[in-house]
Amino acid sequence: MTRMNERSRLWFVNWPLVGIVFLLAIYGSVMVQSATSGMAGGPGLFKRHIFGLLVGLVPLGFAWAVDYRKLSGWIGPLIIFDALLILSPHIPGLGTTAKGATSWLAIGGMRLFQPSEPAKLITIIIMAGIIAAYKGKVEQGRDLAKVLGVLAIPLGLILLQPDLGTGMVFVAITAGMLLVGGLKPRWFLILGVTAAVLVAGMLSLNTTLDKAMGRDVLIKDYQLNRLLVFVDPTLDPKGAGYNLEQSKIAIGSGELTGKGLRSGTQSNLRFLPEPHTDFIFSVTGEELGFMGALLLLGLYLALLITALEIAAQSRDLFGSLIVAGVISMWTFQILENMGMTIGLMPITGIPLPFMSFGSSFMVTNMFAVGMLLSVWTRRQGVSGI
Amino acid sequence: MPSFRQELKPRFAALGIIVLLVLGLLLTRLWTMQVLYGATYTQQAEQNRVRELTTEAPRGRILDRRGKELVGNRPTMAVVAESSVLTNKALLNRLSVVLSMPVADIREKIASTKEAALAPRTVAIDVSQSAVAYISEHASEFPGVDVTVQAVRQYPQGNLAAHVLGYTGEVSESELGADNGAKYSYGDIVGKAGAEAEFEQVLQGDRGRRLIEVDATGHEQRVIEDTDPVTGRDVVLTIDSNVQKVTEKALAQAMTDARKIGFPKAKAGAAIAVDIRTGEILAMASAPTYNPQVFLGGVSKKNWATLTDKKSEFPLTNRAIMAQYPAASTFKAMVFLAGLEYGITTPSSTYDCEGKWVGMGKQWSKWCWNHGGHGVETLMDGVRDSCDTVFYEVGYRFYKDGGEKLQKFARRYGFGAKSGIDLPGETEGRIPDAAWKAKYNQDYPEYQLWLPGDTVNLSIGQGDLLVTPLQLLDSYAGIANGGKVMRPHVLKQVLGPDSKPVLTFKPTVAFDSKTSKASLRSMTTALVDVTEVGTAKSVFRNFPVRVAGKTGTGQVAGKDDMAWFVGYAPADKPRYAVAVVVEQGGHGGSIAGPAGRQMLAALLGQPVEHITATDISR
Repeated sequence: MTRMNERSRLWFVNWPLVGIVFLLAIYGSVMVQSATSGMAGGPGLFKRHIFGLLVGLVPLGFAWAVDYRKLSGWIGPLIIFDALLILSPHIPGLGTTAKGATSWLAIGGMRLFQPSEPAKLITIIIMAGIIAAYKGKVEQGRDLAKVLGVLAIPLGLILLQPDLGTGMVFVAITAGMLLVGGLKPRWFLILGVTAAVLVAGMLSLNTTLDKAMGRDVLIKDYQLNRLLVFVDPTLDPKGAGYNLEQSKIAIGSGELTGKGLRSGTQSNLRFLPEPHTDFIFSVTGEELGFMGALLLLGLYLALLITALEIAAQSRDLFGSLIVAGVISMWTFQILENMGMTIGLMPITGIPLPFMSFGSSFMVTNMFAVGMLLSVWTRRQGVSGI
Repeated sequence: MPSFRQELKPRFAALGIIVLLVLGLLLTRLWTMQVLYGATYTQQAEQNRVRELTTEAPRGRILDRRGKELVGNRPTMAVVAESSVLTNKALLNRLSVVLSMPVADIREKIASTKEAALAPRTVAIDVSQSAVAYISEHASEFPGVDVTVQAVRQYPQGNLAAHVLGYTGEVSESELGADNGAKYSYGDIVGKAGAEAEFEQVLQGDRGRRLIEVDATGHEQRVIEDTDPVTGRDVVLTIDSNVQKVTEKALAQAMTDARKIGFPKAKAGAAIAVDIRTGEILAMASAPTYNPQVFLGGVSKKNWATLTDKKSEFPLTNRAIMAQYPAASTFKAMVFLAGLEYGITTPSSTYDCEGKWVGMGKQWSKWCWNHGGHGVETLMDGVRDSCDTVFYEVGYRFYKDGGEKLQKFARRYGFGAKSGIDLPGETEGRIPDAAWKAKYNQDYPEYQLWLPGDTVNLSIGQGDLLVTPLQLLDSYAGIANGGKVMRPHVLKQVLGPDSKPVLTFKPTVAFDSKTSKASLRSMTTALVDVTEVGTAKSVFRNFPVRVAGKTGTGQVAGKDDMAWFVGYAPADKPRYAVAVVVEQGGHGGSIAGPAGRQMLAALLGQPVEHITATDISR
């Protein structure tokens, strides 16, 4: 406290992070405005998006204000809270089902938010607490088993909804945190191979069972096709395959400089599904072209590099791990969302950070930014807060 | 203390590399899609949003020389179906009930070997209001079926001049592949025969083109481009519908008459009237005829089979220009003129007809049709009585004279060549000569040599001579027109949008025979004798205008005789020529002549009378 002065007060804010997030939020708002302009109720949606952004400032400030270090003492209760959160949509009267997944919390039919969104951040904190205890060396199989065991709780519950996309986000978060937490490379290899064998095993078991029973059991064929559609769009030509084709056409036809805001034919004439949420990048690619995509990727690069810098400057391993979790989450979501719009990744309902319409997602990301700021403000060499 | 920081550095670096790899992967893919293949995707995006709609341009009408509508257009409610309907049995049954049409017929209409089977096909036209209402109200039960308004041809005069007008049909694969095929698209209606085909280029309009922007559900958002259809041009024919009516009726009556007097196979024939000074065809009939309406909405297999069946005498054939017959005695006019022109004979040269002609020796004797003999006849008498012996003699002279002069002369009047009439499908006929015979019998050396009998047979219009009714008519029109054969034509004018002519046919000489005036005068005198005191005397009794004409009775192996009449009038100042042929109708003087009389009466504004006549000459 004694060293606090006007200069240092500014100094404990990570201005690059704030600036980049601000620019991304503006970029996202412009695209959401453009994508919703042709829709019935478009202005209302845009207002809700801005509202979500502003509401997001509250968790941002809250997360920033809270000393992240205190969280390490709450890991046990957080695990329980995490599970309850993910389970909450299944409580009668509280949940609602959309697109085949029971992942929304609703009261009286009004959707509030997707509990899996805050669950991502809580899982990051839990994982950070557990991995930090190994002091940067996860070498024992027992330690890894504990980490995976803890992951299994939210992951299992998420997959039950079923929401495969979000489940993959949890896996990516854990993988990134284990990397920073010091998991031996050979374990990554073993885990990777095991996962591959498990998936292959599951698929062949599914096929065998389907054949043996003479009907579709376990994983429904259409679900599998929807997932694999990026490999072969004809697997689900009327649903995901069509969406993928239209998205690729939108982005490709943007060419170098794009068709101009609100001038995207694919989005405005509704060839693109959900242009303001899952496929916001398709609108960006179509209307602003490769230049627009380059700008977005540049902003993301700046965001992630800044986050890496924060992780590196963290006072302790716990803080570094939290930031690593957020980086992993964002990176995977960027890969998944943009990847699906251009046929590199399966089509799932993962939104694009700071761009997609959707308030619970926006709030989560703002909260994550708050956590990053919290780690930064309390970094090495800054005392008294 | 912060040794963990050193430990963590490579791990952060690894995380950073993963971030770079992810962003780099996305960037590379985006570069490929947006910059390298952007144009391809742009094209796909355009295909998504732009629909081209075409509006049919009304086809030009076909009018007679006085502007009377022979072919027009009328709107009709049509049911069209996509090929997918074929695989839906329940739907086919529903359609069958609603349209009161057998399933097999519906299948036949939709089934197409064409590659563009995707285009909807017309199943039925003139669909009843109730059927239209039912299909529209139960649209969901009729996937791939649609009700549209189509413009189809209408024939206010019924079957009149069907062979001249021709008919229309859907553009064929080969027509689309032709040089000018680019202007057509699948399903277009084009002329298939007659004037409809001949004047296709002017009758066909230009389709209107509308580019619209649609959304994902196919709903129109805005119009990008709109071009109005351009109506096809109206075509005015030289046909006089009154004369045409009389001609068709006269031809039909001639066949009825023939069947009554013992020629039961008289079912086919042709009759033509021409303006000798211009070549304008005023009437052209061919029997049996057909109803061009059966082609509307696509001709059914059954109808097509009937129309192209030998048993029904090939009603689609326009015998006036396509059929080839021996000219028989009507060809004697050519022999007469050629004989005078080449100095082989003179009008007053005499020949003795004893019924049997032995000019080439007893073993090669030939009969005159009048077995009793005509006695001594001049060349002029020979024409009047159609005496074969006279023309055997002249023909034999031609043979001995050498040089195939008779054939050369006939060609100067257009025999053996197309007349150049503006209708499709004309045949050439045949003027037999030594070269033709050698080639024709190339596998039978013993038949290759041109014999005296060949020329003798030719001189009475038999042997290997083949003429189309139009060629024969043209030769007489040429005689009447000072030796000049005008190019026969059915096109008078093409009208512009304001109904003012934009194109008018200019008469041209097709064949100039360069026959001397004196010979032509003798010819006309002889031909007038035919109608006044000769073989056509009873046909033209009490006819108020002098007519120059000739009868003929052709012999075809295995068939009944065919009846010919050809002539022109008024004899002193010729204006019109007519030709009539009735297949297996018997004698020209009794069957074809009366029809010719009715046609000339109609042309000259005289009362049209159906008279009966008897003639046994050939």
